[in-house]
Amino acid sequence: MRNLALLLILCISASADVKAQDVAAARINMNFVNVKPAVFFTELEKQAPCKFYYDIEKLDSVTVSLTASNMPLKDVLTEAFKGTDIHFSFDARNNVFITRGLTVVTDLPKNLFQPAQELATKNPNVDTVADYGLENRRTAKATPGKLIEVGKKGQGTGNVILTGYIRSAKTGEPLVNASVYTDSLHGTTTDIYGQYSLTITPGRRTLNVQSIGMKDTHVQLVVYSNGKLDVDIEDQIRVLKEVVISNRKTSNIRNVQMGVERLSIADIKNVPTVFGEADVLRVITSLPGVKTVGEASTGFNVRGGSTDQNLILFNEATIYNPSHFFGLFSAFNPEVIKDIQLYKSSIPAKFGGRLSSVLDISSREGNKKELTGSAGIGVVTSRIHLEGPIAKDKTSFILGARTTYANWLLNLLPDEYANSTATFQDVDLGITHSFDSSNHLYASFYYSHDRFSLGSDTLYSYSNRNGSIKWKHTFNNKFTGYLTAGIDEYQYDVTSKKNEVNAFKLGFDISQLHSKADFEYYVNSKHGFDFGVGTIRYKLNPGFFKPVGSQSLVVPDEIQTEQGLESNAYLTHRWNPNSKLSISSGLRYSMYNFLGPSTVSQYTPGAPVTESNRTGTKTYEKGKFIQNYYGPEVRFSARYAFTNSFSMKAAYNTLRQYIHLLSNTTIIAPTDIWKLSDPNIRPQLGEQVSLGFYKNFKSNTIETSAEVYYKKIKDYLDYKPGATLIMNHDIETDVVNTKGKAYGMEVMVKKPGGKLNGWVSYTYSRILLRAYDTTQGAVINGGDYYPANYDKPHDVTLAGNFRVNHRFSVSLNFNYSTGRPITLPIGRYVYAGAERVLYSDRNAYRIPDYYRTDLAMNIEGNHKVHQKTHNSWTIGFYNLLGRKNPYSVYFVTENGFIHGYKLSIFGSVIPFVNFNIRF
Amino acid sequence: MCVILLAAVSCRQRYDPPVISSGNTFLVVEANLNPQGLTSILLTRTGPLDRGSAIKPELNAQVSVEGMDNSSRLLSSIGNGRYNNINLGLTIGTEYRLHIKTSDGREYVSDYVKARKTPVIDSIGYELELKGLRVQAHAHDVTKQTRYYRWDFDETWEIHSPFPSNLIFDKTYLPYYIRTRKFPDEDVATCWKYGTSSSIVLANSTRLQDDIIYKAPVQFIENGSEKLSVRYSILLRQYALDKGAYNFYELMKKNTEEIGNIFSPQPSEIRGNINNVRDSKEYVLGYVTASTVEEQRKFIQVPWHFFMYCNITKVPAFNADSTLFYFGPGGSLIPFAYDEPPPKYSGSAPQCVDCTRRGGSTKKPSYW
Repeated sequence: MRNLALLLILCISASADVKAQDVAAARINMNFVNVKPAVFFTELEKQAPCKFYYDIEKLDSVTVSLTASNMPLKDVLTEAFKGTDIHFSFDARNNVFITRGLTVVTDLPKNLFQPAQELATKNPNVDTVADYGLENRRTAKATPGKLIEVGKKGQGTGNVILTGYIRSAKTGEPLVNASVYTDSLHGTTTDIYGQYSLTITPGRRTLNVQSIGMKDTHVQLVVYSNGKLDVDIEDQIRVLKEVVISNRKTSNIRNVQMGVERLSIADIKNVPTVFGEADVLRVITSLPGVKTVGEASTGFNVRGGSTDQNLILFNEATIYNPSHFFGLFSAFNPEVIKDIQLYKSSIPAKFGGRLSSVLDISSREGNKKELTGSAGIGVVTSRIHLEGPIAKDKTSFILGARTTYANWLLNLLPDEYANSTATFQDVDLGITHSFDSSNHLYASFYYSHDRFSLGSDTLYSYSNRNGSIKWKHTFNNKFTGYLTAGIDEYQYDVTSKKNEVNAFKLGFDISQLHSKADFEYYVNSKHGFDFGVGTIRYKLNPGFFKPVGSQSLVVPDEIQTEQGLESNAYLTHRWNPNSKLSISSGLRYSMYNFLGPSTVSQYTPGAPVTESNRTGTKTYEKGKFIQNYYGPEVRFSARYAFTNSFSMKAAYNTLRQYIHLLSNTTIIAPTDIWKLSDPNIRPQLGEQVSLGFYKNFKSNTIETSAEVYYKKIKDYLDYKPGATLIMNHDIETDVVNTKGKAYGMEVMVKKPGGKLNGWVSYTYSRILLRAYDTTQGAVINGGDYYPANYDKPHDVTLAGNFRVNHRFSVSLNFNYSTGRPITLPIGRYVYAGAERVLYSDRNAYRIPDYYRTDLAMNIEGNHKVHQKTHNSWTIGFYNLLGRKNPYSVYFVTENGFIHGYKLSIFGSVIPFVNFNIRF
Repeated sequence: MCVILLAAVSCRQRYDPPVISSGNTFLVVEANLNPQGLTSILLTRTGPLDRGSAIKPELNAQVSVEGMDNSSRLLSSIGNGRYNNINLGLTIGTEYRLHIKTSDGREYVSDYVKARKTPVIDSIGYELELKGLRVQAHAHDVTKQTRYYRWDFDETWEIHSPFPSNLIFDKTYLPYYIRTRKFPDEDVATCWKYGTSSSIVLANSTRLQDDIIYKAPVQFIENGSEKLSVRYSILLRQYALDKGAYNFYELMKKNTEEIGNIFSPQPSEIRGNINNVRDSKEYVLGYVTASTVEEQRKFIQVPWHFFMYCNITKVPAFNADSTLFYFGPGGSLIPFAYDEPPPKYSGSAPQCVDCTRRGGSTKKPSYW
C-alpha cells in the first residue's frame, strides 16, 4: 500500500511526457511461460531504461506468458495483460506504474485549476480512475491512495456537499468522531454512525481522515458536485520509531459544544482501577467536574448535581442502576463499549429529563467481516465477548457477557458474615443490519442482575433489563432521520426469612416505554438543523411488602402504581456565520402528565405537608391527566475561535426533571427508590451558565482548557430528619424541597497522544442546598444554605500513561480531594441509660481529605498482526500507598460510651492481575 | 483493627475528631409519665464531647404534669436531676403535658400526649445463637391499638469465685494474721451483679395483621460473658409508644447506635416534643411519653462456658513476713486454703477469690 501512495505523489509531480514515449517504444525480446510479474518486470527493467512500480500483493494471482521479439515495450505490456484488469502507465521519468482495476494518471488534469463547469466541458473524457456520482446512487469504497472523482461534471456550482461513512477496513465498524477535512476551513467529524457531511468547494482536494487508533488517511479527490464517498481506513499498526506529525487535531478548539468529555475504550483501559477491571464509570469520576462520594459508589455527581440527575444511556436505553456489587464495578462490559460521552454543560436539545448531565455510552458494532472475540480473566470477574457477521457486510452481531465468582472473597470475611454470597451477571447484545446504503437498523439488548446477602438471611437482588431498536434512514445527503423505540426496566427486591413470623419480601420496580424520532438536516456549511419529538411512558411500582412462608404474619402491602407520560419536541439551529464564530441554539419543550388511576393525598394549602395537615384524598380514574407540568428548556452555546489554537465558548442551559431518586444514604443504595412527580412533588428545574477558554500548544499536542459555571437547582428533594423512604404511602410528608446553587471552575491540561499521555485537572466546585420553604415544617439547619453530601471543593486528578515501548506501558493515577461533608457530633448527652452523641447542623463538618495513587502495568504479547490470538496482561496496585482514606466517620454508643470510628473501604493496597485474550 | 467488610478490604479505625465545642449546653428531658405507679423523670444538660467532664444534671427545677382537664401534679426533686412522683394517678385516654421551670427562669412545656395503657408482656424467651444468647420478648394487643413498643430492663446475675475461700487476712489476728472466715458474713464466694439497659430497644407490628410482637430481641449476651456463668435474671419493662415517640427513639437509635454501615443513613437532627415557651428555636432534646409500665422477670440458666485465668501461689504458713507481704494491705493475693506438709497457704488473685472485687455484691437480692 505504501508503494501505491508514493506512486500517487510521484504522478502528481510529473509533467512532461516526451521521454516516456521513448521508453514506451524501447524494443524488447523475451520468451516467458507462466512467470510471476516480478520476474517479468525485472527482465523488462534490464532491457529498457525504466523502473516499474507495483503492489506485489495485488498481482500475486497473475502470471505472464509471452513471446516477444523486438516488440515495443508498450505493446509488450499490452499483450501481457490483455484480458485482465491490469493497467499500466508511463510518466516523464521513465517510471512505469502497474495497477489493478484503475489507471494511474501521470499528469494533472490540464485544467484542474479552472472552474469545474469549464473543466467538465473541456475535458469530457475520463482521465481518472473512477466516477462516483450521486446520481447513480452508487457508493464507493475508497481506498486511500486512489484519485477519485466525485460528482457529475457540469453540475457543481458554489459549494458542494460530500457525505459518506468512515469505516474500519478490517472490521467494517463505523468510526465515530473521526476528523474529516480538506483544510482548516472545511472540516467536520463523523457522527456516532460514522457518517460525515462536509461542505467544500469543487476542484482538486485532498480529503484527510483522522481517527484515534487508525492510520491517518489522505484521499485525493477531484470534486465536481455533491457526492457520496465512503472511506475505509486501516488500523494503525505501530511501527518502531514512528513519527507522527499532526497539526489538525483541534476538535477541542473548534467544537461548539462545551463541557463535553469523550473517552474511547482505549483511554478507559489505560486508567488503573480496583481489581483491574476497566471501569467506565470510575474513569468518568476522574474527569474535571465529576465527583463521587466515596469508593463504594458508582453513582456520580456532575457539577453539583445529585446522583439521580445524570441520564445514563446505553445505546439509547436508560440505565437506572449502573453498578454491580455495592458499586464496586460499573454494570458495563468494557469489551463491547466503543466510547462514552459525558455532557456536563451544553446538553444537546435532543437529550432531556435529567438536570445535570447525560452520559451516553455506546457499544461497538459487530465485526462485519469475520468472527472475532476476546476473553478476560480477573480476580473477581471474567468476561467474554464475541462478534461477527450474520450476513457478511450486511448484518453483524456483538455479544458480551460477564460474571463474577466473588464468593471466595466473601469467605475471607469475619464470622458474622458467614454464609454471605454475592453474584452478578451482565449480558449485552447488539445487532446491526444494513438494508442498503441509506437504511440501517440497530438493535440492542442489555441485562444485568445482582444478588447478594451479607451474613444475614436477608437477600438483596436487583436487575436492569433494556431493549431498543433504531432505524436510521438517510433521505439524501443533507437529511437523515432516526426512529427509536424501546423498553427499560429496573427492579429490586429484598427477602428476609430470618424470623418466620416477620419473614417478608420487599420490592420495587420501574418500567418505561420510550419512542422518539430525530432528524438532522444539513442545509449548507453555514446552517444546519436538528429536530425531533419523543415520548416516555413511565410505570412505577413504588413498593410491595408481602409475607414469605406459611408462618409469616406480614400483611401484604402495596403502594399504588404511579404512571406518567413525558413528551418533548425540540429544534436546534446550528449556525456558522463565519469560520470563527459558531452558534448552536436549541429549544426543547417538555411536558409531563401524572396519569390515573391514582388516589392523591391533599394537604391544607400553605401548611407544612405533614400527616396532621392532610385534609383528605382524591381518587382519579384510569388515564386521567391528574397533574400537568410543562415548560421550555433553552440550550444555547456559542464558540468564537480567535485563532486556530485558541477559542472561547459560552453556554446557557435550562433543564427539567420529572423523576426523582429518594435516598437518605449518601450513595446509590440497593434500596433507593425512584418517584415520579405528582401533585405533591414538583419537578426539579435546573439552570446553568458556563464560560470556557481553550488553548492548544505545541502543534495541538497539548490541550488546555478552563471552564467556569454557575448553576441553580430548584425543588431538589432532600429528606427530612428521620425520614422513612421505604414503603411510605405518603412520601411527600418525609421530604423537603430544597433550592441549590452550584458554582465552580475546572482547569485541565491534556496530552492526548504520544509516549507520555494523560491529563491533569484541578476543580474547584461548591454545591449548597437550602430548604427554603418555610411552610414545610421541619426545616433543615434553620433554613440556611448547607453543603450537599458530595460537596468537595478542591479536587486534583492526574491520569497518566507512559508507553515504555510497544509492549509495555505504565499507568499512574493520582487523586486528591477535600473530604466530603458530614454531620459531626458536637456534644453528648445521656438518654435511655447511655451516653449518646449530639449532632451538629447537617453537613457542618468534613471528613479528612482524600488522596490515592494507583499504578498499573500493561504487558502486551507480540505485535504480529496475523496470529491466532493476542494476549495481554494487566498487573497493578490500587491504592498503592495503602492509605486508609476515610469513606465515612461515625460515632456509636457502645456499652454506654461514645466511640468514634473512621471507615475506609479500601484500607490497604489492592494488587490485581488480569489476563486478556483476543481472537 | 481492620475488618474485611463487603468483600473489599474495608477498614475501621478509631477516630477522634478535632474537639468541637458548641459552647451552649442544652436541656435534655427523659420522661415517661406513668399513669399508675412511680414516675421518675431525669433532667440533664448536654455536655462537651470529650469524656473528661461529667454530664451535669439539671437541679432545682420545678416540674409538674398538667392535664387537658386542667389538673396539675407536682414532681419533687430527689437530687441528681431526678424528679419523682409516687403515683400521678392519670386517667387513661386523657392528654397530659410536662411543664418544667428551670432555676434560671426558663420555662419549657411538652406537647400534650395521651395517657396509654401498655399491654402485658406475654413471655420472655431466649435462643442460643452462634455468638451468644439472645433474650426475646413476646407481647400482643388484641385491640390492635398499641403497635409501637419500647423496652428497658434491669438485669441481675450471680457470680461465683473460682476459689472459694475459708481463710481471711486479719491484721489483728496475731502473730500470723490469717484466720478462718466467719460465715456467712465474710463469705465472698457468691455475689450478685446488676446492670441496666444501655441501648434503645424497639419493635413494632405495623406491618402485621395482628398486633403481635414475636421474638423481639431485647438483649444479647455474648459467649464467654460472666452474666450466664451461674444464673441470670432480667426484669423487663415494656412501654407502649405512639408513632411520634417511636420515631423519636428510632431516630435516636439510628443516630447513635446504628451508624457506620455503608448503607447507613446520615445522622440527622433530633428534637422531640418539648419546647421553650418563649423561644421555640431553643434546642431542647427529649420526648415525653405517658404510658403504664408492664414488668416481667425471667431467670435464665443455660450450659455456659465461662473462664477466668487464675493462678495458685503457695505461700509458707506460720511466717508473718510472707503472709503480710502477699496477703496484707497492698499484697497481690488472697488466701483460700491451707495444706501441709510443708505448711502453706494457697492464694490467688483477688478477683479469683473475692467476688466483690469483680464488682459484685454479696447481698442476695430478695427475688433470688
